[in-house]
Amino acid sequence: MTLQARVQTQLGTLHLNCDVSVDSNVTVAVLGPNGAGKTTLLRVIAGLLPVAEGRVEVDGVVFEDSESGAWLAPEARRVGFVFQDHGLFPHLSVLDNVAFGLRARGMDRKVAATKAHEWLERVDLGRYADSRPSALSGGQSQRAALARVLVTDPQALLLDEPLAAVDASGRLELRRALREHLSTFSGVRLLVTHDPLEAASLADRVIVLEEGHVTQEGPFSEVSARPRSAWIARMAGLNLLRGVVSGEAILLEDGSSLTVATDVAGPALATIQPRAIALYRQAPEGSPRNVVRCTVAGVDPEGDRWRIRLDGPFPLVAEVTPAAAAELRLAEGGEVFAVVKATEIDVYPE
Amino acid sequence: MTRGVTRRPLIGLVIPAAVAVLFIALPLIGLLAHVDWSNLPSELVSTDVLTALRLSLECSAIAVVIALVIGVPLAYLLARTSLPGRRVFRGLVTLPLVLPPVVGGIALQTAFGTTTPIGTVLHHFGIVLPFSTAGAAIAEAFVGFPFLVITVEAGLRQRDDHLEEVAATLGARPWRRFWQVTMPLAAPSIAAGAALCWARALGEFGATITFAGSFPGTTETLPIAAYSSFEGSGQVGEAITLSLLLLAISILVLVVLRDRWLGALR
Repeated sequence: MTLQARVQTQLGTLHLNCDVSVDSNVTVAVLGPNGAGKTTLLRVIAGLLPVAEGRVEVDGVVFEDSESGAWLAPEARRVGFVFQDHGLFPHLSVLDNVAFGLRARGMDRKVAATKAHEWLERVDLGRYADSRPSALSGGQSQRAALARVLVTDPQALLLDEPLAAVDASGRLELRRALREHLSTFSGVRLLVTHDPLEAASLADRVIVLEEGHVTQEGPFSEVSARPRSAWIARMAGLNLLRGVVSGEAILLEDGSSLTVATDVAGPALATIQPRAIALYRQAPEGSPRNVVRCTVAGVDPEGDRWRIRLDGPFPLVAEVTPAAAAELRLAEGGEVFAVVKATEIDVYPE
Repeated sequence: MTRGVTRRPLIGLVIPAAVAVLFIALPLIGLLAHVDWSNLPSELVSTDVLTALRLSLECSAIAVVIALVIGVPLAYLLARTSLPGRRVFRGLVTLPLVLPPVVGGIALQTAFGTTTPIGTVLHHFGIVLPFSTAGAAIAEAFVGFPFLVITVEAGLRQRDDHLEEVAATLGARPWRRFWQVTMPLAAPSIAAGAALCWARALGEFGATITFAGSFPGTTETLPIAAYSSFEGSGQVGEAITLSLLLLAISILVLVVLRDRWLGALR
């Protein structure tokens, strides 16, 4: 089973233009900042939003094709959509909520109730069958919403920011439970999130969506180690530089250059771990390493590592211990020299 | 929200405000003062009063049913669709709110009177609206249904169609979404709108007397009976009894809707 969505549509200021392909039995996360078009993509797949141009197909069933004019109404698409707010019907009992999809597809009331009850037991909500959704906690209501779509045996499962409506204290446990429930579903699993941690823990593969465009795709470890956009680099806590490698140097966009140790040639990206950057009050003499003169733009104390934001030929973030920060008398506007070894710069083709 | 600055009211505002309260309260006190409490039970169950009450309940109930059947769909279309000319329709619906009821009665007469095209067609099927119980109900519906439409529309607007979308992704077709999601969620506003419509229909006078006249047992509803006994036969006592009955019903409606209406203002 696969889901293929080629989508081009304009929504307000957002121009969504992406091509996404998801195989069944792997969880894929669409990761991106707010307003990147992640929810819009899910709504298009579910049929809640028409596209200007494109094609959505799940397992050979054409949901929508702007070329042939084919279009399936949302109720005719076998897609399970778990909304960010979970979308439980407040006027129905938890059991009737879970049975809703079965009843809508014509299942007998008794049979539907029995099946719904089974699923409520599976997500450990059996004792809430007769309660109203308002009696459920965030995590419970999410499980109810999940049971409500899984009971209908959809071809594809779409989850919009699955943990956003749950308070932080319950997330760890909920992430574990959600991962478990996701693994029992063998169809297409597509979730969207702005939280890299969520993508890393729930998904096998991530698709990075920024301003309506896919900027990167792959396993999370790969994407976060070798980011291709400033946003994903920041999420991964890395400094990202863009330039052209020739020989032992990378020439950056601002005209400055750094010594690197790489086989890559031509347009390339380079990342530097913040902790690989050493800071000095005075420029070290005769060092073979890269020395960049910077001013301190900001100091963010974070536990035993302080993040120092630097302004220079290009912006950098360095991490130092509080003791080192005190010794260097780091303050906003002060001058420092950032020093990086060539071997600490990871270079990969653009 | 009483802030420190406004905690001490301006004396200049207290006096007109007190006048306003008296302005409402005095007529009610006057009414209560003139009730002949000892004869009240027997007057309440007199045939005249009971006939008018039964007729009023009948007509206003029919009016509410008419308003529900045609008003809820209209409210839904106004609230949830981008129907062309929506603003014009909304204005048209609210017109009976400000239109003098007598004008409404005359307008109904010109549309459904026995000599009009519609009246002729209806007559063909043995239906005569003017000066009939059905006509009284129609007049009451005309004046009362804007209350229902406005209340239900506001209720539907309070919520977007997100839960209908949820229902669609769960496989529910449009009619199922309407009956299983939209209507149950709008039920409180439909109930409130129906109660307001009913109260307005129950007190309807001008349009009813113009379109349906005042025939005891056929079109002489409570307010019309109160007016006739007050003006015509000089039976002030019966007029007061009927007025008291209407006042009691009004208070009942107010109590039932208290949380919904006064709660929204709090």
